[in-house]
Amino acid sequence: MWRYLAKRLLLAVPVLFGVSVVVFAAIRLIPGDPAQIMAGQAATQEVVEEIRRSLGLDQPLPVQYLYFLRNVLRGDLGRSLFNGAPVVEELGQRFPRTVRLALASMAVATLIGIPAGIAAATHRLSWVDTLVMVLALVGVSIPVFWLGLNLILVFSVRLGWLPAFGYETWRHLVLPSVTLGTASAAVIARMTRSSMLEVLGQDYVRTARAKGLPERAVVYRHALRNALIPVVTILGLQLGTLLSGAVLTETVFAWPGIGRLLVDAVLARDYPVIQGTVLLIAATFVALNVAVDVLYALLDPRIRYA
Amino acid sequence: MNRVLSGVGILALLVALSLPGQSAPAAPQPGGVLIVGRGVDSVTLSPYATAAPDAEVIAHVAETLYELTPEGRIVPKLAESMPRVSADGRTMTIRLRRGIRFHDGTPFDAHAVKWNFDFILNPENRVPFRGILLGEVASVDVLDRYTVRLHLRRPFVPLLAHLTHDFLAIHSPAAVERAGGMRPPNGEPYGRQPVGTGPFRLREWVRGDRIVLERNPDYWGPRKPLLDQIVWRAIPDDGARVLALEGGQVHVAVRVPPRETTRLALNRALRIDRTNSVRTIFIAFNNQKFTDVRVRQAFNYAVNKRAIVQTVLGGAARVSDAPISPGIVGYAPIQPGGWPYDVNRAKQLLAEAGYGGGLTVTLLHPTGRYVQDAAVAAAVQAQLRAAGIHARLQTMEWAAYLAYTNQPVDRTPVEAFMLGWGTVTGDADYGLFSLFHSSQWAPAGFNRAFYRNPQVDQLLDQARSELNPARRADLYKQAMTLIWRDAPWIFLHSESQTTGVRREVQGLVVHPTERILAHTAWLRR
Repeated sequence: MWRYLAKRLLLAVPVLFGVSVVVFAAIRLIPGDPAQIMAGQAATQEVVEEIRRSLGLDQPLPVQYLYFLRNVLRGDLGRSLFNGAPVVEELGQRFPRTVRLALASMAVATLIGIPAGIAAATHRLSWVDTLVMVLALVGVSIPVFWLGLNLILVFSVRLGWLPAFGYETWRHLVLPSVTLGTASAAVIARMTRSSMLEVLGQDYVRTARAKGLPERAVVYRHALRNALIPVVTILGLQLGTLLSGAVLTETVFAWPGIGRLLVDAVLARDYPVIQGTVLLIAATFVALNVAVDVLYALLDPRIRYA
Repeated sequence: MNRVLSGVGILALLVALSLPGQSAPAAPQPGGVLIVGRGVDSVTLSPYATAAPDAEVIAHVAETLYELTPEGRIVPKLAESMPRVSADGRTMTIRLRRGIRFHDGTPFDAHAVKWNFDFILNPENRVPFRGILLGEVASVDVLDRYTVRLHLRRPFVPLLAHLTHDFLAIHSPAAVERAGGMRPPNGEPYGRQPVGTGPFRLREWVRGDRIVLERNPDYWGPRKPLLDQIVWRAIPDDGARVLALEGGQVHVAVRVPPRETTRLALNRALRIDRTNSVRTIFIAFNNQKFTDVRVRQAFNYAVNKRAIVQTVLGGAARVSDAPISPGIVGYAPIQPGGWPYDVNRAKQLLAEAGYGGGLTVTLLHPTGRYVQDAAVAAAVQAQLRAAGIHARLQTMEWAAYLAYTNQPVDRTPVEAFMLGWGTVTGDADYGLFSLFHSSQWAPAGFNRAFYRNPQVDQLLDQARSELNPARRADLYKQAMTLIWRDAPWIFLHSESQTTGVRREVQGLVVHPTERILAHTAWLRR
């Protein structure tokens, strides 16, 4: 198990290295000049050149990359070209907010999605099943900004129960996490349902029923645990997506997380911020994948890592 | 029961107390926190700033020598009186107000002014607006503790207007020192903790989220600040910002989208403020490709500016009647009502120029940079078609757009493009010289239209050194008349700033230079 973990973590090194090369090259291939944007549209060419020099953007690309890599290895992701803030500091401030939003959304998604999926599977082809599946379809189809703005309209403007934006307290967390969790809840419900249906048709479930176990025990003790394995995979992927920043939700609710940071950085061609954020997201994904694999083993004793 | 009764009693008392207050004109009440919702956060609150969201916060913390009033007049601020300009126009002597202190307690005097200007003038410090604002200033002298003299390379009348610009606000030299200085490109680390003489001082800045200012109880000015705090919050989504205003979480929402104004006008808790902006929107031709003036004029005849302003912009704009907009020193209406809409005249001019069979042009436009920019471009496209002009629309994300339209004349593939220009100094020079003088062709300057008219060049040069205001205004009028006839642009409109304000907010100023000013604002309770 430990050897397996070590191997997986070692494998993350080439992955992150690859990500760093691709990001570094890709953002420099798109047109647009950070020095020009920073100087403002009125700036003269001379000023733009000066800024470019002061940012080291006049150096050859491989040289710029090596500097970047050296600094990353020292734990320094550079400074924002725009506001001069250290990228590590910026991410340290914003990532926890994104994590908070992601976990809350995940809680919403799981608490709705798994029970709904189980209910649909155990009441297959009944009205419960139809209702869950229709809601799931609606849930994945609703545009996030539409849902978010409508939730604000009802709960903030009309009823005045919850704040429209901000991130300070748990009350600020409710609307964004519902907005963000809805689509994930729908995906999880569908996955749970199909996985449960498959398991419920298995021999051991029939055996369990034949033993005379109550239906609750059959569903929750025997079927659910096995049905959860593919669901855990989906949960991991969903959480990864949520942790990489939900741009639309963060924009609608003015939630200063890393999603908005990344989009703003791309629009401003703020290279160090883009690089740092993407590296952080890649690292998060790698870590989550390892975590999911470990969870498999806990859920299914047949799975062993060597 | 008792509690209910006493509750009713208190309520009745409150109603009784509030009745006389409603009929009498309200006296300004001190206290309270004003929350302003805007789309973006500031970048830096130092002389390294480059945009209006920086300027409006700086304007509360640090002050300039002179001030541009919303009506377009220049009045003394940290200066005691208007400057004395020598007969040859090469020196400007400014008397400063006495007894003013920075927020850190250090005195404001001629040395502080010299320190600030010297810092900006030093090329090594790479202050972005150095050339634009102080390019003609050679040096600064301290004559006595409260008098400074600026020495100019050549007479440069717009300098007075430039001294009203927030990027030339006077910061505390001691505070800059204590913060660890200002470094290019964005004035870090001082830029995050500015210290000036203004009515408010910085309390907290959470990047990407909020800036909190608090009242400066020792403010020197005659009109003391009333608010306890001003908070700017970054709410990037237009719809969410409007909802936050309706829900009462912000008192002011900037850039309300035109489609929302009709609905908001019905809300009695709010009012919609429409203030002209000094930002002019135009479609520039590549004048070295469109060399025939008849063709350029035909485009102007073919576009119905009035219809665009009424329908696409919901009235939140003003049809251009000159290359710059009202409220700018040197503005004069060149063609009242704007360039006339006359499709037949357009067709006739095109036929004369040899384009009777029609004409195809690629029209570039940004999306989301200016109010309804993409919709305006689409409307222009539809109107041009009636005159036999086929416009292909092409849009680009802003950073790419800026770079694409900034290529030198021998390399640029650009035919026509939409842009906006804010004359933020409030002086015609800034709105005309960079855009129309032939020395300013891109990429050296902002003349991305590659317009050249030697007469215009000469007039713009002359106006820079003309000390007599009336003669100077006349030079600009002549230059603008020539520019108008040459039609290097399709002259579209100047934007209005549409700001949603809650009723309880009093004394707020929406300045034409796209700044929300709350110096004397207060909240009615």
